[in-house]
Amino acid sequence: MIYEGKQKIWSDYQKDIPDDHYFYVRSCIRQAFFPASEAAFLDITRNKLGRDVFETEHHTTCGGIAYHCDVIPQETSMTIIARQFALMHKYGYENFVCSCVTSFGLYCETLETWREFPELKEKIAENLLKSCNLEFAVPKVLIHSSDLIYKFRSRIAGQAKYKLVDKNTGRPLRVVEHIGCHYSKMFPSKGVGGAEYPYVLIGMIDAWGGEIIDYPERRHCCGFGFRQYFIQSNRGYSLANSNKKFESMEPYEPDMIITNCPGCSYFLDRWQYVIADTQKKTYGKNGHGIPVFTYEEVAGLVMGYDPWDLGLQTHMVGPEPVLEKIGIDYSPDAKYKGVGGKDIGCPECPACLK
Amino acid sequence: MGILYDRLCQDFRLREGLNACINCGTCTAICPAAEFYKYDPRSIMDIVQSQDDEAIMKLLKSDTIWYCGECMSCMTRCPRKNAPGLVVMALRSLSVEMGCYMESEKGRQQYLLSKDICGNVLKYGYCVYPREFKYQAHLEAGPVWKWEEEHMDDVYERLGANLDKPGPGAERKIPQEDLDDLKRIFDVSGGTARMRAVEDAGLKKAEDLGLTEQEYAEKVYTECNEDHLNH
Amino acid sequence: MEKNVLIIGGGPAGLEAASILQKSGYSVTLIEKTDHLGGHLAVWDRLFPKGQSAEELLYRLVDNLGPVNCLLNTDIQSINVLDRSFSVILSNGNILLADAVLLACGFDLFKAEKKEEYGYGIYDNVITNADLERYFQEGDGGRIINPKKIGFVHCVGSRDEKVGNLSCSKVCCATAVKQACEMKQRFPESEVFCFYMDLRMFGRYYEDMYLEAQKKYGIRFIRGRVSEVSEKGDKTLLVKAEDTLSSKPIMVSLDLLVLMAGIRPSASGRRVGDMLHLMNEEDGFFSTKDSIYSQQKSDIPGLFFAGAGTGPKTIPETLNDARSSALEIDRYLKSNFPKKK
Repeated sequence: MIYEGKQKIWSDYQKDIPDDHYFYVRSCIRQAFFPASEAAFLDITRNKLGRDVFETEHHTTCGGIAYHCDVIPQETSMTIIARQFALMHKYGYENFVCSCVTSFGLYCETLETWREFPELKEKIAENLLKSCNLEFAVPKVLIHSSDLIYKFRSRIAGQAKYKLVDKNTGRPLRVVEHIGCHYSKMFPSKGVGGAEYPYVLIGMIDAWGGEIIDYPERRHCCGFGFRQYFIQSNRGYSLANSNKKFESMEPYEPDMIITNCPGCSYFLDRWQYVIADTQKKTYGKNGHGIPVFTYEEVAGLVMGYDPWDLGLQTHMVGPEPVLEKIGIDYSPDAKYKGVGGKDIGCPECPACLK
Repeated sequence: MGILYDRLCQDFRLREGLNACINCGTCTAICPAAEFYKYDPRSIMDIVQSQDDEAIMKLLKSDTIWYCGECMSCMTRCPRKNAPGLVVMALRSLSVEMGCYMESEKGRQQYLLSKDICGNVLKYGYCVYPREFKYQAHLEAGPVWKWEEEHMDDVYERLGANLDKPGPGAERKIPQEDLDDLKRIFDVSGGTARMRAVEDAGLKKAEDLGLTEQEYAEKVYTECNEDHLNH
Repeated sequence: MEKNVLIIGGGPAGLEAASILQKSGYSVTLIEKTDHLGGHLAVWDRLFPKGQSAEELLYRLVDNLGPVNCLLNTDIQSINVLDRSFSVILSNGNILLADAVLLACGFDLFKAEKKEEYGYGIYDNVITNADLERYFQEGDGGRIINPKKIGFVHCVGSRDEKVGNLSCSKVCCATAVKQACEMKQRFPESEVFCFYMDLRMFGRYYEDMYLEAQKKYGIRFIRGRVSEVSEKGDKTLLVKAEDTLSSKPIMVSLDLLVLMAGIRPSASGRRVGDMLHLMNEEDGFFSTKDSIYSQQKSDIPGLFFAGAGTGPKTIPETLNDARSSALEIDRYLKSNFPKKK
């Protein structure tokens, strides 16, 4: 692959990402399945990098999952979003950062629709005033939390204790990056690097010493499909799409997968378990899977956080192979302990997947 | 022209998503659903563009419009800047409004989605809430989730969350005044009306089939005709 | 005194207009910004529909020039419209006063790397129609080593709002069919596919070329625009399209993919046009005095167009256009500067 060609594209799709003063909203799926990632995001940006990233307990879901399951009309979703913007405005912020990729796509879609149809924006303003007695302002800057970590990737590298390098062989780890569909497929200019060769995760991997793997199905959706997952009878769709990606990346022998979308982090992890259980096939070596990480988990790991503080124990595919390769100091015994070493049992280890 | 087409045009997603389709097939080429289901977004665009009431009504009542995963890969590539994914969302919305969705197996799933997801939003302020995400209904979440479920408060504390507690943090207890705001938003924007209509239609269907609500929910959750798949 | 005409651009249009005007008794100066005459014709191998030699045509056009003053490696530094003439400063510092000017700057090919999903400039085995034509001309293998499965992608950079060009580039379909047949001649054991949206075979014998492509060369025509190209470990390509005639998404593995890059207005032509404050149409090409009746005239008296600067054209159309322009220039100069009796 000719690297210079990609570099030209990346230089075309740069995004203006301010340094500081962000209003943060959380992700439904990440709060449920990756709360430690969000905690790490705030710890890294606030405490390690000294930024002002503000969160109010009064913010809610953006309604994205409900919107994409078609259980709420567009007006409802837009009014909920307007409320989020009103809160941002109320607390004196102009820069909006959201934790979820579906949210990011929905916020961008909403802003674009309002830009094209100002009468709709007015209607939503009326709705908001009537229902919540609030007025909203459109954010000056709207980014995704991976954009912010991307922006600070060099600073994180500067504070890093580890690199994405196999300490035994000295070679960089082979990293597959997966971008959530709603990050840049709808509005390529809103994603760092555009839609075809997004750079937001590659930039991080580059800065932290890893080697990027490209493979034919890189751009393929992980298969969340919203209703295609939630309803059991549709779930085959979701599984089939992730399976397609695994089969495509297998020959390239990736050491790890990083994704920036909550759904993708969950599915690329869990479907490996299901495939191991039903097809008796694993994609890593020796019965392991390919560990899947969120970008905050990786940022945390290179900065020396304890893997169990980062929530890696809640993945189905054990992260140990990667931890060993990087040479991270961790305690296997502490994996499933609660706060203060409290014994809270441990999950049954499946025979099919380590 | 077509009555249904005019109604569709009131949905902004149709206005954004349909700018005259040339049937080039770029969308279907890249669509994850087209590989898995008997599904062709290009022909959906063509049908809507034809403004033919009969054909559009057939679509609204079919399983076809429920195959899309809303990934929007189609929007990235279309040379006419169309977005079949958005058009499908407009079709789904109209299908729900008109009640046509009740005539297709995949459409009837709206009952459960609406109940669970809107329920979560109004009760907790989240679309997905861990205590409602039952391991028994999601075996694919694996033994790790079973363990998390059994030790939920401890695990979430360990992970730095703020489960069901006041103040900011992951899975916090969102204050009632904010949940009230959401309820009022639903009321004023048609969300509640839709929820009610879908719930009523589902319960009526359960009654017609002689099933309890529980049995109907289970049926909707699991029934799957072999014919959907693209072999 | 002889009236003088400045012709900007040494491609087929400029060359043909130059020789006609010179034979009609005008003093003609032709400037060309590169180091050779012929424009794109100089880097083509064979022309459709019957495979005529581009080189022979070029020799003929240059041969006809006679005493026309040709300045290579020369561009316009500035050009000003005076009362009944044009004051021009060339890049070599010379100053010229022209009684009429002919803009024959031609076209640029669409930069295929802009269509990121096709991977030009990123995947080794993706090339353009221009790259392929050069390969036929020079015979240099380079990246083309015994391909077994070859694909042609029509409409790259044309009919595409995403890259900002809604227009059809007209000649790429015929070029694709020509090149597909030429590849089959070169590699008879190969399988060749053409991925098209519509097949624009508008000229004389174009349909015959299409028929021959199917019957004699067994070229497979798939009606579906290519959506994405990826690369496998062994550098072969995976192409995704839909066979719209059977409504099925397909994935084809290929050794070589040729992108039919479209026709865009020439950047250097636009540069000169901007100096003259010439208007462009929405499609980016020059606006003519009347799109049906006066395609060779601009709104500036004494300034004329010939060739692809006013829209995509085949070679015969370009030559016809140049001859019309020469006639218009002749009429203009005679009426503007009537001979004293």
